[in-house]
Amino acid sequence: MWKTNLKVLSVGAVVLAFYTGVAHVIPQLESEVPETITLGAGATGEQLAEAGEKIYHGAGNCASCHGLGTRAPNLLTDDRGTGTIGARCGRREPGKSCKTYLFEALTKPGAFVVKGYDPIMQDQRRTLSMEQIWALVAFLEAQGGDVTVTGQDIVDAQAAAGAEPAAAPGAAIDVPALLAENCAACHKLKGEGGTLGPAFDGLGARSAADEIRQSVVDPNAKVAKGFEANKGMMPPNFGQQLSKAQLDALVAFLAGLK
Amino acid sequence: MTDALHLVQAAADTSGAYGTFPGIGARAAVWIAAEVHLMFAAFVLGVPMFAVITELIGIVSQDYKYDKMSKEFTRLLVFAYSATALWGGMLLFLLTTLYPKFWAHMARLFGTSMWIYAALFFIESFTLYLYYYGWDRWNQGRAKWGHWTLGLALNVWGTIVMFIANGWLTYMMSPPAGVTAETLPEQVGLANALFNMTWMPINIHRLIGNAVFGGAVVAAYAGYRFLAATTDEERAHYDWMGYVGNFIAISTFIVLPFAGYWLGREIYEYNQTMGITMMGGFMSWLWIVQAVLIGVLFLAANYYLWIGMSRIPGAERFAPYTKWMLLLLIVCWLVWATPHTMIANREELAAMGGSHHPFLNVLGVMSAKNTAVNFMILTTFLSFLMYRRANTRPTVRWAGTGTAVQGAMFVLAAAVVMFYGVYGYFVESIVRIGFSVYQVVAVLACIVGVTVIDLFIGRGAQSRGAIRWGQMPERSQYALFVLAVTFTWLMGLMGFARSGIRQHWHVYEVMRDTSPFAATPALGYAANMITACVVIFLGLVAFIFWLGGLAESAMHKPKPASGD
Repeated sequence: MWKTNLKVLSVGAVVLAFYTGVAHVIPQLESEVPETITLGAGATGEQLAEAGEKIYHGAGNCASCHGLGTRAPNLLTDDRGTGTIGARCGRREPGKSCKTYLFEALTKPGAFVVKGYDPIMQDQRRTLSMEQIWALVAFLEAQGGDVTVTGQDIVDAQAAAGAEPAAAPGAAIDVPALLAENCAACHKLKGEGGTLGPAFDGLGARSAADEIRQSVVDPNAKVAKGFEANKGMMPPNFGQQLSKAQLDALVAFLAGLK
Repeated sequence: MTDALHLVQAAADTSGAYGTFPGIGARAAVWIAAEVHLMFAAFVLGVPMFAVITELIGIVSQDYKYDKMSKEFTRLLVFAYSATALWGGMLLFLLTTLYPKFWAHMARLFGTSMWIYAALFFIESFTLYLYYYGWDRWNQGRAKWGHWTLGLALNVWGTIVMFIANGWLTYMMSPPAGVTAETLPEQVGLANALFNMTWMPINIHRLIGNAVFGGAVVAAYAGYRFLAATTDEERAHYDWMGYVGNFIAISTFIVLPFAGYWLGREIYEYNQTMGITMMGGFMSWLWIVQAVLIGVLFLAANYYLWIGMSRIPGAERFAPYTKWMLLLLIVCWLVWATPHTMIANREELAAMGGSHHPFLNVLGVMSAKNTAVNFMILTTFLSFLMYRRANTRPTVRWAGTGTAVQGAMFVLAAAVVMFYGVYGYFVESIVRIGFSVYQVVAVLACIVGVTVIDLFIGRGAQSRGAIRWGQMPERSQYALFVLAVTFTWLMGLMGFARSGIRQHWHVYEVMRDTSPFAATPALGYAANMITACVVIFLGLVAFIFWLGGLAESAMHKPKPASGD
């Protein structure tokens, strides 16, 4: 009997050793915690770019999408003859400097989706601090361009964030800007906007606030009459892309359109 | 000033939020307690499914051996329940002492459901006692049906308990939209938090997974008892039990990937970043390890079936096909386990022109992998079919036509899988993702259609000879151990994947992990932890089986005659 027990134990041990061994020979990738950056107003562009590089390749997880060129444009290599991101960022949006464009692309990614890609990126303020975001901007600028970010940008951004009134749903949020960035491509309001989804005019008279909220966070749960053919076209991740305050403000605004 | 603010914030985040555990650290302590508790929970949820199904077969077929097997496993459950509760208690104490701030958040949010959970656990335990201790008392007529209903109730309570706990852990993964770090637990709402986006996919995935696990553990137990058997009768009983356990494990395992697809899709729908982290980010290599494990499962399961044919008269006619099926399984396994990017040194990378191998790169993408796994499922199903048909000679007139239709179904399913596998290389990724659904539907339709035809073909079939239960080479039983160990390890690996995709968050994007163990470890460390959990679990299960054996021998020991 002991011989049988030994054989059974040996089989178990060999199987466990095999799986453990396989897990050890593959690349050992660890998901790091975003490093807290404590660079103040005096920080130089180089210091920020160096910190940004760590976030880009590490905890920011940026390369998972931007490193392949299939989910999102590769930022570190040439994109269709326009150069690396630092070289092309200043030409992406007319009137926007490279620094402004990159900062807004990180904080309002839905507004600047490159043609041919899906709007899968989320507002990086959900996971990164203002210092970390500006460090990323500095690193991206450094990829073929001049670094114009300084420590003062962080201080200004923090001051701007601190100056925003805190709660009051619907008050602190710029709802027209939210609509323009996220909704206007498909929904018409006061004669402006797309026609893929129902117009917002009079929406509050047709639907309760809870129904509007559900339509935003779970657009396929109930499709407006006449738009059944377009089911599935609205991105299902607005619930994740918008903050609670933004969502509350948006719903309050739409429910008020009577 | 900024530095000072950061220090204040850091202190506020961590002050009193975490405890310490000697030696292995807080995370490892909670990891082991949670994983071993979960393995026992899967055991005590999976085995009753097995028991209630086999008891029903026993009642309907009036075949006592099913009833005997069902009771044998229910006896083990009585011991396993205590182990589940002990590990659950240990997990609770570790969470309250090592992660008090996080646990306070969870308790404020889920308090009511925790009371219901505890109450249901009581009800479940007492239902089990009634089920086991009433076995011989309620064993005839209506009373037997009443007893079976107790078994059914045991499964219902267990499933509700699992669904509640799944609500807690899925909330950590996918808190409802709009919940932020500033939202108070009371504002989230219990129902809103419980019924979150990944709750039902996890419920279904675990329900099927538990059935698989229950079958695999039963089969391994039977394998051991087969090897230890001293009589032919005993050997025949445990050979048959091993077959039934393996059949349940593999037949339910075949549908598990489809539940996995659904869960994956819901994760992507919930948060693209989380989905990408899981499949394409730092966890992408985990799927290569998973492919290695599942390849072993398919090979071991098929090996056991093929060897099992040696005890079935008439099975010789299928023997020539097995080598080709083995070849197909191995080729598909290699394709499935091919990484998209290669581990290489600088010279090799330069020679390849990047981290993508010029040829193997083609096999390392989802089109090839989905095709491979669907072929493996079809091959395993074919093994089952051969096993089922081995000792029968159909008597229905349309048997030839029926078999031809079955063959055509296999060919059609394989053609659909191959077509979409190849076509996937020529379309955008967003279109390609949808192709996996067509492949899955084709395979499922084949399995259902072929099974239905086979049931009718088998009506009134002549036997080519009785199955010689017990006449099985010993090496076949080791395949059952490999299956049980692999399923257990796989459960630990998938638990790491599910938990790890939250990265440095206790509750994803709501409550940050600011402990010293916030970084999600690499697979090597995770593998060490998984192996430790599997060793603890299987060691305790072996102990429980031994206790069951002691109880059994005590029951069968002859009583001294009166007057002695």
